[in-house]
Amino acid sequence: MADASNQRATAHHHGLPDEIVIWEILVRLPPKSLLRCRAVCGAWRRATSARDFLLAHHAHQPALPIVSGYSYGGGYYDRDIITFDHRAADAQIQHVIQLDVERLCRLEASCDGLLLLSCNTPDASCLYIYNPATRQHATLPVLRDLFMVLGMYPHRPTGEYRILLMYKKENRLGPVVVREHDTCCIFTLGSIQPPRNIGRPPEAEQVCSRGGVALMFRGSLHWHLKQHGTESNMIVVFDTTTESFKQMHAPVALRHAKLFEMDGVLGMFDRNDVGSIINIWELQDYENQVWTFKCKIKLPVNEIMVLCRNINSYWHAVVIPGDGELLVLVQYAEWLLQLDMDGKLVASFHQREVTPTQLQLKQTLVPHTFFPDGYVVNAVPQI
Amino acid sequence: MATREAGKKMIMLKSPDGMEFEVEEAVAMESQTIRKMIEDDCADTAILIPNINSKILSRVIEYCNKHVPTTGATGAAASDTVAPAALAEDLKIWDAEFIKVNRATRFDLIQAASYLNIKGLLDLTSQTTIDTISDNSLEEIRSFLSTKNDYLPEEEQTIRRENQWAFQ
Repeated sequence: MADASNQRATAHHHGLPDEIVIWEILVRLPPKSLLRCRAVCGAWRRATSARDFLLAHHAHQPALPIVSGYSYGGGYYDRDIITFDHRAADAQIQHVIQLDVERLCRLEASCDGLLLLSCNTPDASCLYIYNPATRQHATLPVLRDLFMVLGMYPHRPTGEYRILLMYKKENRLGPVVVREHDTCCIFTLGSIQPPRNIGRPPEAEQVCSRGGVALMFRGSLHWHLKQHGTESNMIVVFDTTTESFKQMHAPVALRHAKLFEMDGVLGMFDRNDVGSIINIWELQDYENQVWTFKCKIKLPVNEIMVLCRNINSYWHAVVIPGDGELLVLVQYAEWLLQLDMDGKLVASFHQREVTPTQLQLKQTLVPHTFFPDGYVVNAVPQI
Repeated sequence: MATREAGKKMIMLKSPDGMEFEVEEAVAMESQTIRKMIEDDCADTAILIPNINSKILSRVIEYCNKHVPTTGATGAAASDTVAPAALAEDLKIWDAEFIKVNRATRFDLIQAASYLNIKGLLDLTSQTTIDTISDNSLEEIRSFLSTKNDYLPEEEQTIRRENQWAFQ
C-alpha cells in the first residue's frame, strides 16, 4: 500500500506546485537572481512583482554587516559600500556600490535596504537615498551642509521613511548663525516640504555631540552617549512612532560602548583602551532596564600580529549580529578579521579600506514612490 | 517506531497511506503546524497529516528527532558534556547526509516542510533548489522545476532587457 502511494506521489511531482515555488523558493532568492527569474514565465513575473511578495522577499533577506569606509583628513568616507557575508562555507566580502572618490561620499544611515549617503559637490554637499538592489537613487532636497543626520526610520503610522536631522552649529563656511541653530527636524522621503522643525530637545543635542550610529530596536532609534568625564551614563531613545525622545540607563560607565541587537535583545559592547579585549552586556529586561554582563572576548593578539606580519596598528572591533549568531569583526592594519564569540579566528581578508561598521544592509526590491522612475536596474551602480 | 517513556507525552501522527507514527510531543512540536493544533486542543488522539506519504513523513520525523532541543530528547545528541559548537558541527554534518536524496524526494520534503511549517527543514531542503536557480540558465531552471515558458520570444527579450544587469 505504501509503495503504491509512493509511486503516485512521485508521478505527481515532476516539479513543485507554483504556490511552493513562489512562496518558499523564489521568496528566498537573492535580489539579482529573483529579477532574472522574472524571465522564466509570466506567472513568476506577476507573482514576484506584487507588493506582498516583495515585502516577504525583503523579510527573508539576510541583514549583512556593512564593512566599508576609510578615514581622510579627519573625516570618515566611503569609496565602496561593502558587505560581509559569513554564511557561506567561505566568508565573503561583497562590493555593493562604487562611489565617486572625488566627492568624498559617506554612508550616513541604512534602513530596510535603503542607504542614505552624503556626497560633496563643489557648491554644496547633498544627501542621496539609494537602493542597491534596484540601483535606484534620488537626490534629497536637504542640504547636508546645514544638517547633521541623526538617523533614518520607517514611520509606522504613515508607512513613510523619515530622516531625523539636526541643524549644524557650523559648516565648512563657518558658524551657522540662523535662528534654527540647535533645532531638530524631520524630513520625509519623497516630500517637497522643507524639514519639519520639532523643537530643541536636549537629547538631540547630546546625540549630536556624543552619540554614534543609531540602532533601530523595538521601533525606536537608540544611541549610546560617549562618556566625557563625569557626564551621566545614558542611552538616548527616539520613539519613531510618537517622534519623541527619552533616556535609558546604560550598564556601567563605558567609554567606547556601542549598541547592537541580537534575537530581540538589546546588547552593548565595550573595548579596553588598547582595543584587544571586548566586554559584552545584555539588556534582558528592557522595561526595567536591567543589564547583565554576558561575556568577555580576548582577541588572539599574537596570532593576528603574525598573520598581519607584525605591522603596528590600532584594533578596531565591532560586535554585530549575523544571521542568528553574533559576529566579532576586527580591523587591524589592512586586514579584516572575523572571530567567533570565543575569540577564535574564523576568517581573514587582506584588503584596504574595509572597516567594520555597526550598519547592516538587508536588501529590498519593494518599490518606493520617492524614487523618480520605476526600476533603473541597468544603470551602472555608481553615484 | 518510538517507544513510550515515562514522563514523556506521546502523539500519534497518521499518514494518508495508513501508517501511524508515535512520536514525543516535543518532537512533533518542531512543526509549527502541529504545535498550533496541540495548543488549540485539536489533537486528542491522532493527527492525520494530509498529502505527506509515510516515506516522507518518516524522514520528517527523523529530522525533527535530531533537531529537537536536547533537553529531554532521546537522540544521541542529548549530552551535557558536548560543547554547543561541537553539537552544531555534528548537526551540520548530519544535515548534509540527510539531504543527499533525489530531486523528487527533495521536492516532497520541501512541500512537507512547508505544510508542517518546520523552518530548519525548509531552509535545508530549499537551499539546493535556490542554488540551482541562482547558478543556472533560464532554460535549465524551467527544466529543473518543470515550468513552462509562456512568453513570446519578443516578450522574453523585453523582460531580459528590463533586468539586463541581472543577466550579466
